[in-house]
Amino acid sequence: MKVSLEFGFYGKSIITSLLLGGLISPVVAEEASPDPAGIELPYVYTNWKTFTTKDGLPNDHIFAVEAVGPEVWIGTENGLARLDKKTGEIQSWTEKDGLPWKVISALAYSEKTGELWIGLFGGGLARYSAGRFDHWHQLNSGLVNDVVYGIALENDNVWIATTAGASRYNTVTGEWAIFTEKNAPMEEIWNYGVSYNDGKVYLGVWGSGVLEYEVATGNWKDYLDPDGEMEIDLYRDDGIVHVITTGTSYIDGILWVSTYFGASRYDGRHWRGYFAHECGLPSDFINAIQGRSGTEAWFATDKGVGALADFETDTWVTYTRDTQTNEGLAIVSRGPEILKEVRSGINIPHNYTLWTEMDGNDVWIGTSKGLAWGIGEGYYRGLKAATPAKADSGPGTDEPNTTPVRR
Amino acid sequence: MKRIYLMICLLLLVVSFQILPAQETTDQPGVLKLPPEEYLPPMHLDDPALEEVLRKINGVDPYEVPDLELKRDKTYARTAEDVEPYSGVVPFKEHFLEQMPYTGPGRAIPEPEQVDTVKLGFIGPIMSTVSVATGGKSHEEPLGIQMLKGARLAIEQANARGGYKDRSIPFELVVTNDNGLWGASGNEIVTMAYKDNVWAILGTIDGANSHIAIRVALKAEIPMMNTGDTDPTFIETNIPWVFRCISDDRQMGYLLVDYLYRKMGYKRVGLIRASNRYGRFGVREVKDGSRRLGQPIALEMAYTLGTDDFGLQLDRLVQADVEAIVHWGNGGDAARILNQMRARGMDQPFFASDRAVSEEFVQIAGKNAEGVMCPYPWDPERTDAKLDYFRQAFRDRFGVEPDTYATHGYDGMNMLIWATQVAGLNRAKIRDVLAYRTKPWPGVSGDIYLTAAMDDVGEVSMARFENGKWSFYTREDLEVPQGFIPARDRISREATGDLE
Repeated sequence: MKVSLEFGFYGKSIITSLLLGGLISPVVAEEASPDPAGIELPYVYTNWKTFTTKDGLPNDHIFAVEAVGPEVWIGTENGLARLDKKTGEIQSWTEKDGLPWKVISALAYSEKTGELWIGLFGGGLARYSAGRFDHWHQLNSGLVNDVVYGIALENDNVWIATTAGASRYNTVTGEWAIFTEKNAPMEEIWNYGVSYNDGKVYLGVWGSGVLEYEVATGNWKDYLDPDGEMEIDLYRDDGIVHVITTGTSYIDGILWVSTYFGASRYDGRHWRGYFAHECGLPSDFINAIQGRSGTEAWFATDKGVGALADFETDTWVTYTRDTQTNEGLAIVSRGPEILKEVRSGINIPHNYTLWTEMDGNDVWIGTSKGLAWGIGEGYYRGLKAATPAKADSGPGTDEPNTTPVRR
Repeated sequence: MKRIYLMICLLLLVVSFQILPAQETTDQPGVLKLPPEEYLPPMHLDDPALEEVLRKINGVDPYEVPDLELKRDKTYARTAEDVEPYSGVVPFKEHFLEQMPYTGPGRAIPEPEQVDTVKLGFIGPIMSTVSVATGGKSHEEPLGIQMLKGARLAIEQANARGGYKDRSIPFELVVTNDNGLWGASGNEIVTMAYKDNVWAILGTIDGANSHIAIRVALKAEIPMMNTGDTDPTFIETNIPWVFRCISDDRQMGYLLVDYLYRKMGYKRVGLIRASNRYGRFGVREVKDGSRRLGQPIALEMAYTLGTDDFGLQLDRLVQADVEAIVHWGNGGDAARILNQMRARGMDQPFFASDRAVSEEFVQIAGKNAEGVMCPYPWDPERTDAKLDYFRQAFRDRFGVEPDTYATHGYDGMNMLIWATQVAGLNRAKIRDVLAYRTKPWPGVSGDIYLTAAMDDVGEVSMARFENGKWSFYTREDLEVPQGFIPARDRISREATGDLE
């Protein structure tokens, strides 16, 4: 078996430090060995399907994905699409089909009403229901701005994160509320992401950190970078790593935060910061985040996808596409230490990733060149004792081959 | 209620459009005279190192990222050691020292087979509008109109020199107004990026609108050149599509605090500023630098935009017994504050932000202007034939003198034109040639070298109004001492014991 030492866009600091430290070398990497004995490893996705315009998507630039039972809604730079997971058929809508504006930046599906809420980047808010699009914008509603970055559903309310504040629309009463610096602790009003879970709405605000809105009380709380400086992060674990936040995800009482400068996790008492130079995060430039549990979160970055698979042990799986071989590469690491490589057929269609979506055991990754579906057959949370490596089945197949790194 | 307010705003907007023709516009008839070729900006590849860059960016497929060396800076923003934040502590992470790459597939987007014009966008405050962000009045359109004139002159000159790639395909300036109303700048960038299909955009001035604009530019993947927003945080966003060719309030703040404390030895300085983003962020480096140099600002007072009476703020500053006063806001407000100070018998030296270096300030302040000093983003008195020819061409075309905004607007638009000429009609490649250019841009405002953060940290100057006119002095002219600027990043310094 010959495996080239190609790490794609994987966090180069890990690679560089290992190479410089003499811990690995190209020669060593060509050697194959079984999984390290006695080490527990996370689940690694090796069965991927990808979708592009060739498969019927209206555009390959995927800004948002919403998985709903047997279907997946896809928001692109030039239209809306719905994928039938069972048949692989894709139906799409563009402006000529009634979609109010072509660039879709956010999606949220209401299980209660069966309606799809659509954030339009520069076009406001739309709802798709019963084959019809309804449209709200700055001049016909309480939507504070038409440049929409995020949508979240909270009970009967739709929250919309826009470039000039957040709006909340009550779908029952038709009442709108606007949140800006006038009535919320927004140092800046440039909302970027919004999420809701367990009674709390979280806004990721560009330049203003994270805002927490408690639905029961209507109280706001802000989370800012304690050092207050843009050019440094003074201490890693003292708060969010930077105020230029891009997304939030709240699950199991844990708040996950993404920024263009790294990521953070908050358990209500302690913060933990993550940077690419010290873990499996492929890049500090994070476009989107999705928490799967309190101990697992997925990060869509400009250099691949990083999945913190087990918080307690700081175990990551980093997914990239090797642009030379067109193989999918998954690297399992613990902190800065690489435990294992797994190569498979193409995993994510492009390393510039824009969205992550959890769908039961499966995952969906929106990229700038198509959509990826990671099929999680046999998925397990956390870690399990390593099993012996399977025989090399070569690139381009669904069977993984493994290349442990001798340390 | 909001609908009523929106209706009123729209009505006023329409009225302002109607009024506009009576105001100064940028397309008044004038004579376009081209300076000699050697005094015009480059229109073609002028940096041999870029040949390799072009080879690499033209050779990648949608999945590859060209193997290009990223710029690395040794220190951020040429910050002296003693005004660094938390200078006694080694931070866990330093940002902005390494250039941000663009890793998306945009380079592989094919050029259009045929275009009638090559569109470049402009966004700036050029029409009088009502804006919540600016206190219910508009203040920046004189600056925006000058910026537009500079950009327009660059376009017209490029067309007179043969247009796009000498093929007589004209460059077309797509002009939009930035009115600061409900984040409208974001909508304008969306329109330019997705409907007008411009290749790159220049703008804007207001810090809040600039931030809104660049967030859209990031998602739409379009290069954005800023020539008029001196907010330091504008560039501190890690967006690989953003450039700025004007020195910022950080650099001006550094020079000012060095002058106040290291040169003049003041102990108690007071601040008065506009209650908007320009005022709030403009004074940050002055406040931080003062504290870090052991002379914390004695008192900071903010005022609401549109206020004419600054009595409350001045009363407090008198009570604080300050030795000098620094103002950060628009030039007209600076003059009114200065006049009210002098009328009260307050004779403290008055320092103001660069917006006071304006005709408006001089007219309102009258004789009180004498002795006022302002940090300034460049040295307009520098000896440079390019600058002289630019000024002459500007006067010929528009009948007025170019100011800072016109000068940098001209430089910024010329950089975009050059990048389009060299890279072709591809936004990612236009971004690349600007990002990986190794030679400083020979601007009429001076040589422009972009840092790893794609920012211009060129030398700033100090303006002093004396004998009825503004004179400009460099740090060396005024013999202003400066703190030690280490040649390594803070983390490396700690590792090597350089801090000791």
